[in-house]
Amino acid sequence: MSATQSAVVSHAEAVKASRTIDYVLLFVIFFVVLGGYHVHAMLTMGDWDFWADWKDRRLWVTVTPIVLITFPAAVQFWAWENFRIAWGATVCILGLLFGEWVNRYVNFWGWTYFPVNFVFPASEVSMAICLDAVLALTGSYIATSIFGATLWGLLFYPTNWPMIAGLHLPVEYNGVLMSVADLQGYHYVRTGTPEYIRMVEKGTLRTFGKDVAPVSAFFSAFVCILIYFWWHFMGRWFSTIKFIHQL
Amino acid sequence: MNIIKKSMAKMSFFGLLLTLAVSSFYAPTASAHGEKSQAAFMRMRTVMWYDLAWSTDELNVNETMDITGTMYVFHDWPESVNLPTTSFLNIGIPGPVFIRQESYIGDKIVPRSVELHLGNSYDFKVVLKARRPGEWHIHTMINVDGGGPVIGPGKWATINGSMDDFTNEITALTGQTFDLETWTLDTIYAWHTIWYIVGIAWMAWWCRRPIFVPRMHMIKAGRASELVTPTDKKVTLAFLIGTLALVLVSYNSANSKFPVTIPLQAGKFRSIPVSDNTTGDVHTTMTEATYRVPGRAMRMVVSVHNGADEAVRLGEFMGGSIRFLNPDVAVDEAEYPENLLAPEGLSVSPDTAIAPGETAEIEVIAGDAAWEIERMSDIIYDPDSRMAGMLFFYEETSGDRHMAIINGPLIPVFM
Repeated sequence: MSATQSAVVSHAEAVKASRTIDYVLLFVIFFVVLGGYHVHAMLTMGDWDFWADWKDRRLWVTVTPIVLITFPAAVQFWAWENFRIAWGATVCILGLLFGEWVNRYVNFWGWTYFPVNFVFPASEVSMAICLDAVLALTGSYIATSIFGATLWGLLFYPTNWPMIAGLHLPVEYNGVLMSVADLQGYHYVRTGTPEYIRMVEKGTLRTFGKDVAPVSAFFSAFVCILIYFWWHFMGRWFSTIKFIHQL
Repeated sequence: MNIIKKSMAKMSFFGLLLTLAVSSFYAPTASAHGEKSQAAFMRMRTVMWYDLAWSTDELNVNETMDITGTMYVFHDWPESVNLPTTSFLNIGIPGPVFIRQESYIGDKIVPRSVELHLGNSYDFKVVLKARRPGEWHIHTMINVDGGGPVIGPGKWATINGSMDDFTNEITALTGQTFDLETWTLDTIYAWHTIWYIVGIAWMAWWCRRPIFVPRMHMIKAGRASELVTPTDKKVTLAFLIGTLALVLVSYNSANSKFPVTIPLQAGKFRSIPVSDNTTGDVHTTMTEATYRVPGRAMRMVVSVHNGADEAVRLGEFMGGSIRFLNPDVAVDEAEYPENLLAPEGLSVSPDTAIAPGETAEIEVIAGDAAWEIERMSDIIYDPDSRMAGMLFFYEETSGDRHMAIINGPLIPVFM
């Protein structure tokens, strides 16, 4: 076979080749996104997602959705613009969670023996599906940024509350009130993570009493709208083949 | 077609082999915590650990060991390290091989950060419960916000048994009793699995038809609107509504299951009790200090005033957690870590008793290979060449101890 001959000779073979390319690309996309997004997530949300005693009502709720809407916005543009497929955000989150679980299970538990109920990652699948669904239904990036990104920010806390609620039971420990998560942080020694570097309930949001999580979620949702735009353009700028023509 | 498949299979196999090779590099067990790498002035001039005692050095899983002692927060704290106004009494162990069951400064439990003051001594106690079998190096340690960890002496301890036997039972104020090792673990696994399956289902819907090449061609042909069918939209709407409903149901379900919860607790503890295991009636002034590099010895000239009722002799100099003993006066009874102990490392001249009320000038030489082994010799390379340490004097008849702090400029001697 020469370079000018087609590798396929029939429609059936073309279909097979197309599906093979689909599966190979899906595999590649999953792991490339996993690698890049995982590094990004670790560098930006880091400890907030590593430890149960960092998952507070303010900064965890605010920071995590904001730093995580980045790659989904970019990949979503690429997938929708070129293929009209609406799983750009979902593939990012599934890749991220796969990488995070491998990290938490192999490193945190298998290597250093932190209990998994102390180091489990947050789930963002619900947020990703909503972001993708809004794009699929509206076909509009503006609508996706306004409604989808808002849902992205708002759904984070309620999605994860079922997993952390049991860790917020009150415990009286030698005369000090602690949540179960605080007690985990105290019991399971982290030499390089002293208690004072936790960013727990810090800030000036005092006028809403105990109901700070919804306020934080709304603020996060608002910022997510802006970050979605920013990273949408990152996707637009980077998912180009212009440079190939310049070679 | 077969050529493409074979080529891809070869590449995939090669990639797999490469991944295995890269991930199989030998990773040795870490057995220490870089304590020797910590700048010498940090070890000498921040926190001085003394009277340390380890209740045991061998125990079974679920048994506890106590580490007790006193830490003196050096009054002439180095300029380059943040003050210990926000500190945390930690423990240096390789991961949670023990759990920290209790920790106290004075009689106050300190699960949170504390405010310490320069010039004060603080008694501390850490209770550790054995969790993972093995031989582990355990350090006393205090973290200083903006200053980093200040690591104290480390001692080896052996844990026997099986980690499977370890339990960490807790009773909440709601009355529930559970093992902290596995509490809510099933719920965490269940919800992650459920959401992951929903995510895969969402992707599967869009991947059931050709994904990349045909769709790209259709978009280029201006037929993008045909790619999202009315059925796609109906399914998408169902996923959207279903996802929102699942979030709502799971949230309410968690609230029903755990109606009483509290936020994470944080905040600094102040008014930390100060130790009375501190100064004595012997007062010192250091007039000269040199470090002889070839001989690995620190020479100090100290003016001593004995304000006690009995004659005293110098028994020990401690600097950077290394204890240099004058064997005629003091011996170690706490099974102090061997690498940090120089049982005959201190010579005093004149090595005679100083009478009550007398002021005498003595020459003290602390010499041992420990200076080099523990990398304390690097003090001559510090940007602020100063030394600090503790002198322990003992009354001749009663054996009562008087301690004194010395510090001052340090001059290296290279020949």
